[in-house]
Amino acid sequence: MMYSHLLFSTIWIPFICGLIFLVSVKDVKTLGARLLGLCGGVLPFVFAWILYFKYDASLLEAYNFELILPTGLESLGIFLHLGLNGISLPLFILSATVGLSAIVYALFSNAERLNLYVGLLFIMFSGLMGTFASVDLFFFYFFHEFALIPTFIMIMIWGGVARHAVALEMTIYLTLGALLSLIGLIALYQQSGAEAFNMIALKDALLEQPISEVLQNNIFALLFFGFGILVSLFPFHTWAPKGYGAAPTGAAMLHAGVLKKFGLYGLLQIAIPFLPAGSEAWGFWLLLLGLGNILVIGLVTLAQKDLKQMIGYSSVMHMGYAFIGLGTFSILGAGGVLLLLVAHGLSVALLFLLSTCIYKRFSTFNMDEMGGLGQIAPNLSAFFALAILASIGLPGFANFWGEFIIFTALGESESTRWVLYLAALGIIISAVYGLRAVGNIVFGVAKESVIQANTASKVGDMNPIEKFSATVLLGSLLLIGVYPKIFSDYSNKTLQNIYSDTSLLLNDEYVGDFKLERDTEYE
Amino acid sequence: MDILTNLLSLLFLPLGTSILIIALGKHRKKYAPIVAFMSAIGALSLSYILLKNLPESVHYSWEWLAFGDSKFYIGILLDNIGATMLAMVSIVALCIVTFSIGYMSDDAAKGRFFAGVAFFMFSMTGIILADNLIMIFLFWELVGFSSYLLIGHYFQKEEAKSASQKAFIVNRIGDFGFLIGIILTYWQFGTTNIELLSIQSGIDPSLMSTFIGFLLICGFIGKSAQFPLHVWLPDAMAGPTPVSALIHAATMVAAGIYLLIRIDFILTSQVLLFIAYSGTFVALFAGFCAFAQDDIKRILAYSTLSQLGYMAAIFGMGYSGIALFHLITHAFFKALLFLGAGAVIHACHHEQSIFKMGGLFKKMPITSITFIIGTLALCGVYGFSGFYSKDSILIAANDYNSTLFYFLVFGAFMTAGYMGRLIWIVFFGKANSEAASSAHEVSAVMTVPLILLSGFAIFVGLNAYWPFGLGASIVSDLDHLHHLSGYKEIHKWVLILGSAAWIVGLGVSLIFYGKGSSEDRLQLKFPKVFAFLKGRLWVDELYQYYVNHIQKPVAEFLSFVDEVILRGIIVRGGAGLVGVLGVGFRLLQVGKINNYVLWFFVGLLLFWLYGIDLF
Repeated sequence: MMYSHLLFSTIWIPFICGLIFLVSVKDVKTLGARLLGLCGGVLPFVFAWILYFKYDASLLEAYNFELILPTGLESLGIFLHLGLNGISLPLFILSATVGLSAIVYALFSNAERLNLYVGLLFIMFSGLMGTFASVDLFFFYFFHEFALIPTFIMIMIWGGVARHAVALEMTIYLTLGALLSLIGLIALYQQSGAEAFNMIALKDALLEQPISEVLQNNIFALLFFGFGILVSLFPFHTWAPKGYGAAPTGAAMLHAGVLKKFGLYGLLQIAIPFLPAGSEAWGFWLLLLGLGNILVIGLVTLAQKDLKQMIGYSSVMHMGYAFIGLGTFSILGAGGVLLLLVAHGLSVALLFLLSTCIYKRFSTFNMDEMGGLGQIAPNLSAFFALAILASIGLPGFANFWGEFIIFTALGESESTRWVLYLAALGIIISAVYGLRAVGNIVFGVAKESVIQANTASKVGDMNPIEKFSATVLLGSLLLIGVYPKIFSDYSNKTLQNIYSDTSLLLNDEYVGDFKLERDTEYE
Repeated sequence: MDILTNLLSLLFLPLGTSILIIALGKHRKKYAPIVAFMSAIGALSLSYILLKNLPESVHYSWEWLAFGDSKFYIGILLDNIGATMLAMVSIVALCIVTFSIGYMSDDAAKGRFFAGVAFFMFSMTGIILADNLIMIFLFWELVGFSSYLLIGHYFQKEEAKSASQKAFIVNRIGDFGFLIGIILTYWQFGTTNIELLSIQSGIDPSLMSTFIGFLLICGFIGKSAQFPLHVWLPDAMAGPTPVSALIHAATMVAAGIYLLIRIDFILTSQVLLFIAYSGTFVALFAGFCAFAQDDIKRILAYSTLSQLGYMAAIFGMGYSGIALFHLITHAFFKALLFLGAGAVIHACHHEQSIFKMGGLFKKMPITSITFIIGTLALCGVYGFSGFYSKDSILIAANDYNSTLFYFLVFGAFMTAGYMGRLIWIVFFGKANSEAASSAHEVSAVMTVPLILLSGFAIFVGLNAYWPFGLGASIVSDLDHLHHLSGYKEIHKWVLILGSAAWIVGLGVSLIFYGKGSSEDRLQLKFPKVFAFLKGRLWVDELYQYYVNHIQKPVAEFLSFVDEVILRGIIVRGGAGLVGVLGVGFRLLQVGKINNYVLWFFVGLLLFWLYGIDLF
């Protein structure tokens, strides 16, 4: 019970901090405000890791650290129902890690109206922690929106060029996606006849009485495209690079790093295990559109000259791996997707962070005008090069395992091997744009004007705050890259549990069995 | 020390060294060389203790990752082949690290250099010790990364920028096939463990697949710079010379051959045939290219390519032991040659064109003599190590296919030709530039490794005397050759042709090029031939064309489609439509974010009211 409240506190601590910053902190640069901010960033991180070590993987059926609080919506089956399982735990820790990094960086940044900025970031952080800690579907969705709204506001206030248009486009797009997925979730709830609007009840209800294939197809379509839009599924991705290009650092880190994973998490935790027939019917589209993300967007990334846009597009591209991984409908594929989500979240947040650091040294995001960072800031160059290499799947970093496991899962069945041959081209494409960026930014000789500007502004190499924020992320990437078992063992247990209960494995015999069982039931 | 501790410390010592050097911070410049040197000595001692105590082979394995029924392992396999590689790598690395202390003494970024070299040693040891293909792939990419880092050492130079990118990307192209090959192997055999693969393919040969074999050797083609992915190796010479010696001559590029030797039992005869022919082609092709180069390091780079071709060819003919033999002898004499070139470049104030050198023999006698020893070993002169391995390659080739045999003999002639050209022009005659005339012998920290390596370049061919029973597979392959029917006749014939090749090669190059020339006589007398050789079959140009005229326009076109059509017309158009429909709600929706927020909460409230049964 104590740990359940610890779980709850990871949500309300940032929320309270956010409120205090919004309402009563005038100057963030005072010691008290900074201490408060640090507490708000560090505590959820520490708690998340405590929960990790207290996690009991032998509890197969239930979630760990369950907490059920009444909300006044009992008649709808809605409770504030929190808990963690092997799928949400890695993402929960991802969210705490990226949150810590983003908040510490923001606390010591020079943004205008810093109290508002930090406050909104805290609200966003709180929503993120809530999203992955929710078992209840209403709150799962609610916390997502809770984190999404500050994103829009932050783009509107601190965004870059054309921020109003970008924020509007992003709002329309993401609201549409969220709406579709909400309709899907409600339809699923309503059709399943479950007693409560949460994942456990839904699963039990669906195991007892699977819903018809037609309905499954339709509901899955809603969830697939709804969640897909939120994850920048090709061709619904156009909001992402522009949005991230305009978003301030903290918002970009938290959104691209964590919030965006909401959609894939929904597919992984809900749509695919609960709607086996529906996901099988849409399986081809998962693979095809995922390939669109990898190949088409991969090539588009090659053409980018703006560093932030490039990172934005590359993030869209990497989501393609996740979609094709889901398209294998195997435990292996799902495990790979999970690892990829965590890895990608850490690495894209790191890249957005570093891109801001680089901007400070060159006063531009245009890569053609950069060069010679190795001379100006050797440490920053090393971090940037490692971050890029991590994101293009260098072994030793987490991303490698995500991509490798997904590729392996694709190779299992003859019917998905063609996807493997095409998707693996992504490792070449990403190497080209990644190294080109490192080449243009780090290598070469710095322009005289840049050197002068740097000496005048005394920016120098990375300061301790930049180093701290980057090290948290890079260190996590290394940790998972070297020792993937840290998450994979727990996830494996949960995946085996939820994926085998629904008998959903792409192996034809499994699907056959499943259909057979259902037919007998109808008789 | 038990074997496992020994193995693990051998693997992690270089990694620790690398981290330590980075952690030194401001003191890097001062302490990095000594730390790296101590670590190289430590690695050599650890290898020595290990080899002394090594039983026939050791194998350890741990689970690394598991999802569902699929499990992936990390593990160590050290058998005779690995032990032989390990001994070579530790010795060569120590020599090269020592040499680097002198060569890099003026460099501002010594810390980065030595940390990179140590990290490379970690990755290379990882490849040697890996017990399964996935782990090999992992360290395979890591050697690629260290190579990228070290080629880009002089990062201010445009040349280093493009060369390091090229090396990594071209290797990735090879790894693309390799990765798919590993995955298909995993599903075909149910494992990627090397020992299990060998058992499985022995029990059920029908599991072997030519398709998978071709995919797997893509990795080799990339890493060992075989045609058509050879383009990165000559450019990689932009890195510091000790790096070229260690990574791009002695060890990393040979890792491709090592991989082949590791997996030879799952390669079908078609794959082997392909390797034999493509190896022979590279041996000749690279030899031709070497004639049109004037940069001393690039000449050696093409020579490395050509020798890798020899190794590949003999492997394809079914003699993996002899491929290993040539790999080992080549590692020593080529490391020697590169370090010698490094000494020359260092003495000539970073002048690399052979036509601006000349007459260095008198000024740098130790370097010159050791360099000539290396050359003689490379040309396969009797008594030097290269003779033994090249001789057995030619004998085996003669038995395998007489066309390939004559090609390879011709290749040996070319080797002597381009190396003769280099020797005569660089070391004899008169100095052709200010830098060359003021050159003098390098310091002891650089000459001692040269002398050590020349000892190896002479004697390492006598594989019967190798300690700890190293090179058992070499012995068995050589035995096989010695028992061929008509061995004596063949050997006599090979000996005559092989010796003729180097005598004629060195002689003709002396007559044609002359001592210490300042111009390329081939270019003067036969400009068309020279231009053709300089063109190197235009593979580089072809790739450049692809990048500039196909990949770039396609990327830009797609970017345009994405920007204008998808985003601009469909999405904005769609949004416009929504906007038109929304005119009626104008009062409610004015496109301000705060309003959206407001409406979100209004919606939430309604939902709530519905929930608590208010309506």
